[in-house]
Amino acid sequence: MGPQPTSLGSGTRGPGPGKAEAAAAEVDRASVIRAFRPLGWLRIREAIPSWMSWVLGVIPILVLLLAWWAVTAGPDAESRMISPTILPSPTEVARSLPQLWFERALTRNLVVSFSRVLTGFAVAVAIAFPLGVLMGAFTKVKAAFNPLSVFAAYLPIPTLVPLTLSLFGTGESQKVVFLALAFVIYLLPLFVAAVDSVDDVYLKTAYTLGASRTQTVGKVLLAISWPDIFRAMRMGFGVGWSYILLAEMVDIGKGLGGIIMVSQRRGPREHIYLVLVFIVLVAFLTDRLWVWLGRRLFPYREVRR
Amino acid sequence: MASNPPTKVGPTALGKIVLILFILACVAGAAYYFRDLLAPKGAGGPKKVDLDAFAQQVGKVEAPDTKGITTVNEYTYVPADKLPPVKGVSSYTWSAADKVVQFPINVWIGWLPILAANHGGAPNTESIFFKEYGFKVNLKLIDDPVVARDAFAAGQSHVLWGTLDMMVLFAPGLMADSRTAPRIFQQIDWSNGGDGIVVRGSIHSVKDLKGKTIVYAQNSPSQYFINNLLIAAGIQPGEVTHKYTATAFEAAAAFVADKRIDACVSWAPDIYNIPEKVTGTRILTTTSEANKLIADVWAARADFAKDHPEVIKGLVAGIFKAMDQLSDPAFKERAFQWMGELYGMSVDDVRAMQNDAHSTNFAENKSFFLNANDPTNFERTWKNITFVYRELGLVGTPARFDEVMDFSVVKQLEAEGAFKHQQDTYRTTFAPTSYTKLSAEAPIVTQTIRINFYPNSANVYEPQHDDVGAPLPNTLYDPSVEATLEKVARLAGQYERAVIAVVGHTDSSMKGKGTRYQDVKQLSLDRANAVKQALVKKYKFDPNKFTVEGKAWDVPADPDDPMNQALNRRVEIAVYPPEA
Repeated sequence: MGPQPTSLGSGTRGPGPGKAEAAAAEVDRASVIRAFRPLGWLRIREAIPSWMSWVLGVIPILVLLLAWWAVTAGPDAESRMISPTILPSPTEVARSLPQLWFERALTRNLVVSFSRVLTGFAVAVAIAFPLGVLMGAFTKVKAAFNPLSVFAAYLPIPTLVPLTLSLFGTGESQKVVFLALAFVIYLLPLFVAAVDSVDDVYLKTAYTLGASRTQTVGKVLLAISWPDIFRAMRMGFGVGWSYILLAEMVDIGKGLGGIIMVSQRRGPREHIYLVLVFIVLVAFLTDRLWVWLGRRLFPYREVRR
Repeated sequence: MASNPPTKVGPTALGKIVLILFILACVAGAAYYFRDLLAPKGAGGPKKVDLDAFAQQVGKVEAPDTKGITTVNEYTYVPADKLPPVKGVSSYTWSAADKVVQFPINVWIGWLPILAANHGGAPNTESIFFKEYGFKVNLKLIDDPVVARDAFAAGQSHVLWGTLDMMVLFAPGLMADSRTAPRIFQQIDWSNGGDGIVVRGSIHSVKDLKGKTIVYAQNSPSQYFINNLLIAAGIQPGEVTHKYTATAFEAAAAFVADKRIDACVSWAPDIYNIPEKVTGTRILTTTSEANKLIADVWAARADFAKDHPEVIKGLVAGIFKAMDQLSDPAFKERAFQWMGELYGMSVDDVRAMQNDAHSTNFAENKSFFLNANDPTNFERTWKNITFVYRELGLVGTPARFDEVMDFSVVKQLEAEGAFKHQQDTYRTTFAPTSYTKLSAEAPIVTQTIRINFYPNSANVYEPQHDDVGAPLPNTLYDPSVEATLEKVARLAGQYERAVIAVVGHTDSSMKGKGTRYQDVKQLSLDRANAVKQALVKKYKFDPNKFTVEGKAWDVPADPDDPMNQALNRRVEIAVYPPEA
């Protein structure tokens, strides 16, 4: 609760010395009253300092860890609220890190999985981007591909594993193709929507200025929808991680999916949770990278914040 | 730059690039220096299997057993003495009013007796379990073993289905909590054609798999099946490229899709469909020959078994009762129908599976759980799986067989005289055959064993001799002969239906030194015979299962190194498919 900016809605027009003080006092009183109203400290779109956003962000994580610790605490396995055969305790999970890191080569597997996600993503963008832009720009193209896109969005993706298997074998290409498929299905509608949402005003202006069809697509539709397309890519990149387990179901060897699957069967189960932690970590870091890149590419989008 | 030189402070553009490159090089160098810390290679990769480690798991402390065992030898201990005691408060869901046992099963014909006993999947009052023992059973389909295991650990189900090899993998984790420790009370079936290995045409025997690529579902009976065979054939797992899938179905699909894969381990019906549909493929072997290799069992939670011994006994007895009733073809048809309803399959599809497994009745369970001489009893099967999996590095500290095996119910039923009429029908009778006839085809697998015979002796249990040649009592010339015979017995037991050739070979050290070839040939034959007799005597095999042959010094072990006499003195055990 920092000092309130006095100019907001207080109606002080003439900056007379006595008047301003009285007004400030009035505003202060108002903010105190507001703060004690139910949920008065919650204000719509208020600006908070960065330390506060960090603190507020850490609290739920700590609560979760505490809850985890509480349900798995106890002198022996039998007195825990949740049995270690289901959920190991945080310390047990932490203690199994060296084994996962050294014996099971966590980082190498992480790199393998990450590069699979990355390759699949690149392939997907190479397909979904041109198709999405064309669909967004030309109604006939959209009419042709939209039913397929809608159908694909409702597909239970796991059922495609055997299909990609018989078409692309058991090697690396099958995994990349499967991930690319999942990415395309997610990204395509978002790309179309991004181009679709460009206001007609811009098109009319472009036509008035005598822009050609190519120019209109390239310099108006695409140029305006770039930030939205980028945002769709940022959101979509996470999708790959949710499918990595399915992608790595065949020819289980390297990759985080393999580690999880093997740990489920013959333990240690601690590694399942550790791998999840690392996936979250990687997802967080890559998301930061996307945000940083977004700020660099589209600084004009940042003005609103 | 030139327009405003005085304000320009700091490095030039080139300087910045050099600086950044320098920093990057430092980071890369540090990363490389600490590469084993940042990205260790891991302990994975093909391990070198110690094929002699087998001897260590056969009781070394026993006195040499030179007489052989002539009667059925039953365990004398009480299971409760060896099973881990249950601590704490039971933590499974159970309603004393409804009394419904949650019993998940997978798609497998072996569950026919329990489906028959329960009159379908849903809990009902018509079932044997309710009418005779006063509880209900809910058989639900949980095909994914991991989900079944998790439901078991969470106390949502009281029973865990599985093959014994799955239990070996699951047991150490589940035993972390004494309440979820699995207790195995009953064998449901032996896989009897349900599992198999399909290969491309150029492969005729397991030894041909060396250097080839195989695909199978990891941590499944498939993995045990193939690796047990590879180890029996003396092939290091690292000499074969293993590709893993999550399910057997995907392994079959991968084999069909990818011509670079030379073999797959999968289940019926895929293993029978592939050779019909894909040219150039054939079945190498199935569990219709290795018919005592893969055992299906069920395990109960330790806390549930402790709290409800009468329910456990009812489950075991009810299943045996249903096995009797299934001999009525009309009832069997109804059972097929119940199974079809639960699995969402047509009755025809269910009927087509009926030969994939052999339901093990009371007498067969008795032999499996209690008979210490049975070459494929619980203890040996468990130890064999543990041996294979430990050598592959798949299990760290495995559970002992007597920490999970609970034969108390089988013993109780025996004491009550129940199911006396059920006879062990799962025994193959063999007609005598000749080695020449047998060896016309390629063997499925050949195992080479070495027994150190006393010079010119053909007695496997030959004692040591003192300086003047007098035998020393209670000694063995080859102290590891028991372990060697055990190894053969297990393979011969697993391949219960197969015919086995025991081929003796001698070294060629006396070649051209006045020794008569005839005598050497006779010695090699005598030694093969001695191995056969020892096996028949100790493990009660049908003598006609074995065919003996003496090859003298004709076939060196390694054609590239024919004078390696240590390798040449050997006995080869070749497993041949049963004659059609």
